[in-house]
Amino acid sequence: MTETWGKFKSFDGKKFEALDPEFTREVSSMLGGEDLTACFQCSKCSAGCPVSDKVNIQVHEIMRMLLFGLKEVLETDMVWLCTTCYTCQERCPQGIDITDIIFGLKNMAFKKEIAPPGYIAARKSLYDIGRLYEPTDWEREDLELDDVPELNVEDTRKMFDKIGLMKLKDGD
Amino acid sequence: MAQSYEVFLGCAIPNRFNNYESSMRAVAKELGINLIDFEGASCCGTVVLKSIDESSWLALSGRNIALAENRGHDIMTPCNGCFGSLKDTDHVLHDDEDNRKKVNTVLKPLGLEYTGKAKIRHLVEVLYELKDDIRKRIVKPLNGLRIAFHPGCHLIRPSNVVGFDDPELPRKVDELLELTGAESVAWGLKLSCCGSPLLISSEDVATKILSEKMISAKQANANCVVTNCPACHTQFDVQLIGMKDESGESLELPALFVTQILGLAMGIDPEPLGLELNRISLDPIADLLGF
Repeated sequence: MTETWGKFKSFDGKKFEALDPEFTREVSSMLGGEDLTACFQCSKCSAGCPVSDKVNIQVHEIMRMLLFGLKEVLETDMVWLCTTCYTCQERCPQGIDITDIIFGLKNMAFKKEIAPPGYIAARKSLYDIGRLYEPTDWEREDLELDDVPELNVEDTRKMFDKIGLMKLKDGD
Repeated sequence: MAQSYEVFLGCAIPNRFNNYESSMRAVAKELGINLIDFEGASCCGTVVLKSIDESSWLALSGRNIALAENRGHDIMTPCNGCFGSLKDTDHVLHDDEDNRKKVNTVLKPLGLEYTGKAKIRHLVEVLYELKDDIRKRIVKPLNGLRIAFHPGCHLIRPSNVVGFDDPELPRKVDELLELTGAESVAWGLKLSCCGSPLLISSEDVATKILSEKMISAKQANANCVVTNCPACHTQFDVQLIGMKDESGESLELPALFVTQILGLAMGIDPEPLGLELNRISLDPIADLLGF
C-alpha cells in the first residue's frame, strides 16, 4: 500500500449518509462518462491494472463509488495514481471508457485543489514557457541536428486565457 | 510517391533523446520518407494537461492538428505521448460536434480551423508500411539479440482510438525488429505500463512498476529493451540507472530505440544513430550490434 497520495484510504468503519445522484450525473456527462452506469462490478478493470496492488482503493471500487454518488472518490489514491495505460478501458466487457472517466475525476479533483504538486507546477510551466518542464539543450550539434525547436507560447496563452486554464475553480 | 509528413517531435525527444531524433532522421532518409519541420507547434499537452483540464487540452492539441491541416499536410510523430494526445483529440473532435465547435471558437481568432483532414500517424506505423523495403535493406543482421520490446500504452490503447495493432497481442513492431535477425522475446509484463506517467505524481510507484517490468524482461532472458517512445525511454534509460532488485542484482539492461536497431541492421553509420548517447552501457551487446 502506498502512503503517497489520497486522504480516503479505506472503507472500514466509514458511514456514507448522503448519496448524491447529481454527482453521478455530473461524471456521466463528462468525456467518456456516458456508459458509467453500465458497470456491473466484474472487477476485470482492477485485474489488469498495473497499480491495483499499489493503491488503497482500486478501479472497480471507484466505479462503485461513482454509481453511489460518493464524492469521497476524489480523495482516493487511484485517481492520481492511474497511469492512464487504458488497459481497463480496453478490457471492460461493458464498453465503459473507464480511463477517460478517471481523467474527468482528475479534472474535478484539480479544481478542488486535490492534486499532486507536480501537476500544479506543470500547469504554470505550460502557461509561462509553453512546456510542461524546463528544457535542457545538449549534444545536438554533434549529431548535426538543428537547435531545439521553439514551442509556441503566445497563441497558446491566448487560448488558455480564453478558456480560463489558470483560474480553474470548483463550481465552474 | 515518397511519403511526406510534418514531424511532431514534442518536447522530450529534442530535450532528452537526440539519439532518437537523429536515428529517426537517418532511417527516414534511407527509406525516402520526407520529414517537414512542424512550424509553430505547441506542447502536445499529453495526459498531463488532459488530467488538469480537458477543454484546454482539446484546444491545445486541436491547434496542433489544425496547423498541419491548414498547410495541407499529415502529421507523423515518434512519441507515444504526442501520438496518444493527437489521436485522442482527433477522435473526440471528429465524433463530438459540441467539442469541435468549442475548439473552433477558440481557434478562430488565431486564423485556424479543425476539420479533421490531417492524418495522424506514429513513426512505427509508417515504418511498418515500408516493411518490404526495410527487409531488402538489411545488410548487417543482429542475430543473437534478444529484445524485450516495450510498445508502450498509448501506441496500442485504446485500440478504437489509435487503431494501430492488436491491443492484446501486438506484433507489428516486433515483425519489424525481427527483420533484423533479432528475436523479440515473449515477456510477461510486455504490455504493462512502464510507469513513466507517474513520475510527476509518485516516483515511488513509478519505480516499483519499472522494477517489476525489468524483472519480467530478465526472466525472459532478454539482453536489451527496445522502445518507440521518449517517455517510456526515460524509465528504461534514465530512471533505471543503478536500480537493483531485492537481492542486490542489477536490473539494468541496455535500452535502444526502434530506429537505432533498424538503422544498425540497415548498415547506417553508428554515429548518426547516436549510440554514444544511450545512457546505460551498450557494451554487453556491442558485439551483437556489430559496432
